[in-house]
Amino acid sequence: MRPILLQGHERSLTQIKFNREGDLLFSCSKDHVINVWFTDNGERLGTYDGHNGTVWTIDVDSQSRFLVSGSADNTMRLWSVETGKCLYEWEFPTAVKRVAFSEDDDQVVCITEQRMGHQGAIRVFDINREGDGTDQSSEPISFFNPTGSKAVVCAFAHDPSLIITGHESGKVALFNAKTGEEVQGNTRAHLDQVTDLQLSPDRSYFVTSSKDKTARLHDTRTLLVLKTYSTETPLNSAAISQGKPYILLGGGQDAMSVTTTSLRQGKFETRFWHMVLEEEVGRVKGHFGPVNTIAVHPKGTCYASGGEDGFVRVHHFDESYFRAKPYGDLEIED
Amino acid sequence: EDAADESNVSAELIAQRKRLVDEWNAWRLRAKEELAEERKKRGKKVNDEKAPEEEKEEIQVWIDEVIEQIEEVIIE
Repeated sequence: MRPILLQGHERSLTQIKFNREGDLLFSCSKDHVINVWFTDNGERLGTYDGHNGTVWTIDVDSQSRFLVSGSADNTMRLWSVETGKCLYEWEFPTAVKRVAFSEDDDQVVCITEQRMGHQGAIRVFDINREGDGTDQSSEPISFFNPTGSKAVVCAFAHDPSLIITGHESGKVALFNAKTGEEVQGNTRAHLDQVTDLQLSPDRSYFVTSSKDKTARLHDTRTLLVLKTYSTETPLNSAAISQGKPYILLGGGQDAMSVTTTSLRQGKFETRFWHMVLEEEVGRVKGHFGPVNTIAVHPKGTCYASGGEDGFVRVHHFDESYFRAKPYGDLEIED
Repeated sequence: EDAADESNVSAELIAQRKRLVDEWNAWRLRAKEELAEERKKRGKKVNDEKAPEEEKEEIQVWIDEVIEQIEEVIIE
């Protein structure tokens, strides 16, 4: 499994995302640029230029028509995936840390940072898909400030009237998307900051990663923790694989090996865990710095990781990966 | 592939794994039913996951590029 190295970013990666078909991979970085790549051969298809600060977050709609991005320049932008043009720009008092499309692509939820007299906020916008996409409303259809620990990651739940959030304190919660009322909360989901949140295809369960060195699988409806994956390193990203019941985890390096391994060697790993059995299956090395973000191809044929080192690595799985049954013949429902 | 060789996995562990998988599958089936139910209530058509397989484009691209090859010589 020789990885394809995507070279084009000059600073660390913040988020990567496949489109629904998986033929395109979007990446954003602290270098202010958003790139789109062909998954197949790693060629760069284009860039989305315009942000004047770290691009913290991106999401692409299910038709690969619109891309939404959030940046430290205090704007959220809507882009045409095809032409690379910026179609609309929303301005906020603080940086945009997370954006996500709804299942039907008709709404976007975003988190803005808490800073100097501004509370952290969650806003939901309607996305007008008629016409060329430039006719958007500047006003959110809902706007609320979660009290207590600030929200750092968010997504629409299985029911689009609910927003799932992950917080700095380790809390995971469900908010009513219209009223901003907290419908459900698990304050002890993690013991430290939640760093990533990715949903299963039907949104009925999701995985979170945390600085507390664990990743957890949650039931979206009840927020009960279904599974826990405990590692030795603070985690930055967790992704649910398709085709195989694996969870992919990425983060730093365990404290013990920091002194014994050289950064030059590319020792930072993506860890594969069995989703149901909670056992570690294997590791893939490669990055020269912590793994910041992981995404799995929607059909499970490859995965990509974005690192603090400024590289994106795309790993297409070998045939042996699909044939291997490390745990015997267990049929697992997706 | 040698992982297929399970002889060293104890019967106890196999039973434990089977139990975990059974529990998971039971939960998934229940959750899927409830989800379909809720979707209907919202007046949405139930997404039948397995939508007809989209037509696949055959693209052949041959690229073989060595990205990195690190040779380390260890001198005693």
